[in-house]
Amino acid sequence: MESSSLMSEGISLMLFGMGFVFVFLTLLVIVTSLMSKIIIKYEKSAGVLPEDGVPSPSTFIPHHETNAPLQAEADDKTLISVLTAAVHKYRSRHK
Amino acid sequence: MDQIIRLWHNSGLYQMEPGQAVMIAIGMLLLYLAINKNFEPLLLVPIGFGGVLANIPGAGLAEHGGILHLFYTVGIESGAFPLIIFMGVGAMTDFGPLLSNPRTLFLGAAAQFGIFVTLMGAVALSAFGVFDFSLADAAAIGIIGGADGPTSIYVASKLAPDLLGAIAVASYSYMALVPLIQPPIMRALTTESERKIKMVQQRHVSHREKIVFPLLLLLLVAFLLPDAAPLLGMFCFGNLMKECAVVDRLRNTTHNSLINTVTIFLGLAVGSKLSADKFLDLTTLGILLLGMIAFSIGTASGVIMAKVMNKISTNKINPLIGSAGVSAVPMAARVSNKLGLETDPHNFLLMHAMGPNVAGVIGSAIAAGIMINYIAG
Repeated sequence: MESSSLMSEGISLMLFGMGFVFVFLTLLVIVTSLMSKIIIKYEKSAGVLPEDGVPSPSTFIPHHETNAPLQAEADDKTLISVLTAAVHKYRSRHK
Repeated sequence: MDQIIRLWHNSGLYQMEPGQAVMIAIGMLLLYLAINKNFEPLLLVPIGFGGVLANIPGAGLAEHGGILHLFYTVGIESGAFPLIIFMGVGAMTDFGPLLSNPRTLFLGAAAQFGIFVTLMGAVALSAFGVFDFSLADAAAIGIIGGADGPTSIYVASKLAPDLLGAIAVASYSYMALVPLIQPPIMRALTTESERKIKMVQQRHVSHREKIVFPLLLLLLVAFLLPDAAPLLGMFCFGNLMKECAVVDRLRNTTHNSLINTVTIFLGLAVGSKLSADKFLDLTTLGILLLGMIAFSIGTASGVIMAKVMNKISTNKINPLIGSAGVSAVPMAARVSNKLGLETDPHNFLLMHAMGPNVAGVIGSAIAAGIMINYIAG
């Protein structure tokens, strides 16, 4: 007697639980897509936030000369633009 | 002479019970797995060592007043440690892949199926008189299928504190075994051509979206399922600290030193639950077995869900990323990626698999909230 009520409790928890997980995540999908649409639309007029965020307050003061990392960053940028150009060329040839 | 006899009576050898000896051996085995085989060493080293400490005869480290018992009371009984860990996990999580393809949330939902099937399994076993699990026990065992250590510990501490040791060991060992358990299931359920599906490049997700998302999730949880608010609230808080980028110092503490500190104490406290009288019985074996089933079903239902979604939608999903819907971040996503590369060396699925992977974390936290709500509330 008791075992069958345990079974039915189990079944109802399973159905209820699985159902709720799906309902919740479906809602999350809808709300998230909506949020993305609104923000993308907004950012078309307002512009995006800087990728690395607002400069954060920090007590850390680098000791080394800041020249080297800047140089590396500049190198990276050139490298990226060269790579992009190459990919474009490759794609336009292999249509 | 009396003194020598007293010393002998107080020695570990004299007081040792067979069960304690076995538990010390099990603790050593966990240490061996962690150190030599690299199975989740960050957790199994403290857990294994805690298990050894808890079983030192006569020392009473895990009994009332012992230091391990103290860690347990402060951190796990109160629910604090798993929640702090969740905050750290939030501070490490990148929702970018999820935001660029929100549909992957369904995969994270489907993979929670394993949790509930196992709950049914545990209930059925006790209905047939094999084990004696209550509904609360069954729920705590099922959550192993969420493959999320902190969530399992949180739920077990709320619903079935007696089984906590076995449940924690099971969920962390299966997380370590993800690369062994998942691939055969994934191969069996997909065809070669399905594994070769190339997914469309993910769109760029703007910074603003990433900041708004944790707040949105928090509001949704607050409105619909406050029982999941402790877990997801901490998770969202950690994530907001990461994404808003103005509190980098707090974020660094959260996902480095704080999470490490708490992991040490969490591991030791879980180890304290590995005492012979609680751990050494058939129930533990049953839990390990059910946990394994939970995990396998979760993996399978994630993959199947991806295939179903492919039938409906034109925007194809590689079913291999479905298995990442069980949380186990980032191991499960790496497994998806590896299997994808196996069939097609140019098909990188890692970033695509991270979507369902973090969705799985949300999904299992929701499932945990429902169970707590249903049983305790």
